[in-house]
Amino acid sequence: MTTTRKGALLPAEGSVQKGIIDFAKQALKQGAFDAVLIPSRVPAGDSFAYFLVRNEAVLEGASPLSPIMPVQGARVISSITRRGKGNNRIAAIMRPCEARATIELAKLGQVDLENITIITMDCPGVIPLSDYFDDAGKGDKVFEDASQNWNSAPMRPVCRICDKFSSAGGEDLHIGTLGTNSGSILLIPHSSKGESILNKLGISLKEDISGWADKVNKLTEERKRERDQANDALRADIEGIDRLVEAFSACINCHNCMRVCPICYCRQCNFDSDKMKFTFEDYFTRAEARGRLMVPTDTLLFHIGRMLHMSLSCVSCGMCEDACPMAIPVAQIFAVVGDRNQEAFDYVPGRSMDEPLPLTTFDEEEFLEVEQSYAGVSSQQEGQNA
Amino acid sequence: MPKVLRINKGSEEGLKELLRFLLENGKVKGVLTLRKMGEYGAISYSLITNPDDIDSTLPLFPLMPVNLGKQLSRLTLIEAATEPIAVVLRPCELRAFVELVKRTQGSLENILFISSTCGGVYPLEMAVEGNIAEHLPEYWKAVGQGELVPNTRLACQACEYFVPYTADITVSLLNNKGMEKETTLFLNTEKGESIVEGISGKFSEGDMDTTTIEQIRSKRKAEKEKLSDEVELRNLGIDEITKTFSRCIGCRNCSKVCPACYCHVCFFEAETSQHEPVYYERELEKEGCINMFSDTLFYHLVRLFHVSTSCTACGQCADVCPANIPLWAISLKMGEAVQKVFDYLPGKDIEEGLPITTFVPEEFAGIV
Repeated sequence: MTTTRKGALLPAEGSVQKGIIDFAKQALKQGAFDAVLIPSRVPAGDSFAYFLVRNEAVLEGASPLSPIMPVQGARVISSITRRGKGNNRIAAIMRPCEARATIELAKLGQVDLENITIITMDCPGVIPLSDYFDDAGKGDKVFEDASQNWNSAPMRPVCRICDKFSSAGGEDLHIGTLGTNSGSILLIPHSSKGESILNKLGISLKEDISGWADKVNKLTEERKRERDQANDALRADIEGIDRLVEAFSACINCHNCMRVCPICYCRQCNFDSDKMKFTFEDYFTRAEARGRLMVPTDTLLFHIGRMLHMSLSCVSCGMCEDACPMAIPVAQIFAVVGDRNQEAFDYVPGRSMDEPLPLTTFDEEEFLEVEQSYAGVSSQQEGQNA
Repeated sequence: MPKVLRINKGSEEGLKELLRFLLENGKVKGVLTLRKMGEYGAISYSLITNPDDIDSTLPLFPLMPVNLGKQLSRLTLIEAATEPIAVVLRPCELRAFVELVKRTQGSLENILFISSTCGGVYPLEMAVEGNIAEHLPEYWKAVGQGELVPNTRLACQACEYFVPYTADITVSLLNNKGMEKETTLFLNTEKGESIVEGISGKFSEGDMDTTTIEQIRSKRKAEKEKLSDEVELRNLGIDEITKTFSRCIGCRNCSKVCPACYCHVCFFEAETSQHEPVYYERELEKEGCINMFSDTLFYHLVRLFHVSTSCTACGQCADVCPANIPLWAISLKMGEAVQKVFDYLPGKDIEEGLPITTFVPEEFAGIV
């Protein structure tokens, strides 16, 4: 999706993170931004958080490639700009899936991108929160080793099958790191905003990026194959209502998947609203109809409803799965559903601000085949009834 | 002296027999208890109306997938139970429901409460790993001997309120050495007594052995002290609190599963809690740096403040925390401290007013 074939190579003094931090510091110093939004280790040391930073010295301790994703960055940007773009020009340094979710939220009116410059980097994935919080020291080590070698084994299951780990095209500036051997980072602008920032910093685009792009394409193809295989394998376990019931049977209805999801932005979820609270008589009637009623009720309905609401914008970040107390493979299930739905609309969430949300686009001639087959089924049924 | 009913079967089978009897004889129209979901192995609460489905129930299975007090509030929020039902729940769940009823979030009407002297439940994590079944022999052995059960929720190991207060019927489990052969049911209320009329079993009179209860209580108390030491929250000063909550990812799942957190829209999710861009600009100007998780500590402190009089220390919050924060210990410590000041035990007595709705003109004169 690259719009330019040239980039700029910057030294990275031993680590990719250092290279990114140095670039951010320079940009802040020269007034390209008023603040940088970037993950950093919390003072207690055993976790990470997004920090909005103006003080250059603070940037020194940042972790743009933090080993975990405790919160989806799109949610953070939404909390900063949902009520208005404000006066600060902010560079948001985040992972590609966070950037893509941010763009989806902008389309949904939950993010104002005017003063935001989105900067992404090639992403080796993140390790699951539960693994990290079991032993943060070990987690740091595992992540460091794995990310240097692009070994996805210890990462979130959806990171392992992520085929959009690099530039998706919607960001302003992408930082290529794949195959740069920690000695340098490759800056690739994707918008006029990105270009003007590099201009302002006096960074010129001289570097041929085709070597990096080849490596990205190769890994993308590999991941696509792995993703298809994984989706096919999981589909066999979840297809049909009985298997779906089974897949979600351990759900305790806490809705935490929804609350950590960057796309689920409703202030009041339908499933937490008064509309989903029923009279005792209603619950009892439902129990009597089948002899029993699972309590909490409506858990599968919630998941199917959520799927319907957000699967076209799902960026497969894996937050939902990390936040599920019952270890239901929510993100993997949503990847199966999301991929197919997105493919049906030829839509890649977060690829471009110029691509409207499928649900806001009316196409008269769309999905005729679906209507046809439905018409066929109903006329058949009528025939049988007659 | 309360009536005692003994059924000539092991405790779980005996309890199932009682539930079947109640349903088959129309004494209740529904039974709410734990049940194994199909063949998948997941254990969930179910409202059962068909007596045949009692076979698949596991009323004493040591797991609390959700706090049933919270679920009962959902079922009886709009109207009280229109049909009589029997509910099997743990003492902390019962107390949580009583608190919710005091807060007008449900109704006790038409419900027969069956509880037990509780050995605790295993963490949800063990249900995920699927290894509860292999721990069951160990569980029942320890319960029968009135010992602490290893590997249960830490909140359970530290729980002193394992005897239900307002149950109509109490199944005697703790230190009941004969429970694998015989079910002992204390019929605590008139309702409990009359509803079992006609069941085959031995009736007598008797009190729960208070000496044994005190022995178990002191074991739990000692364990509580030990566990509190281990989570290093003895002093609960601002430094410990800040450090402990710094892992919080702000998901607020602790409040979503908490029976005491019943607000329809949490203050922290309300529109009023959303910052204007100028807030970030001002903070940035002042501090040079903003931790975007900074509101999480505020959230926890306010939540503790809100739930402290009604917290029944069920431990659900800690079980669902994606960041392994020892919320059970923090809630327990805060709850105990506040409840002691008001001489109030949440859910002990429906007639006892909530401390914050009870005005005493001469209260806390020293502080004022």
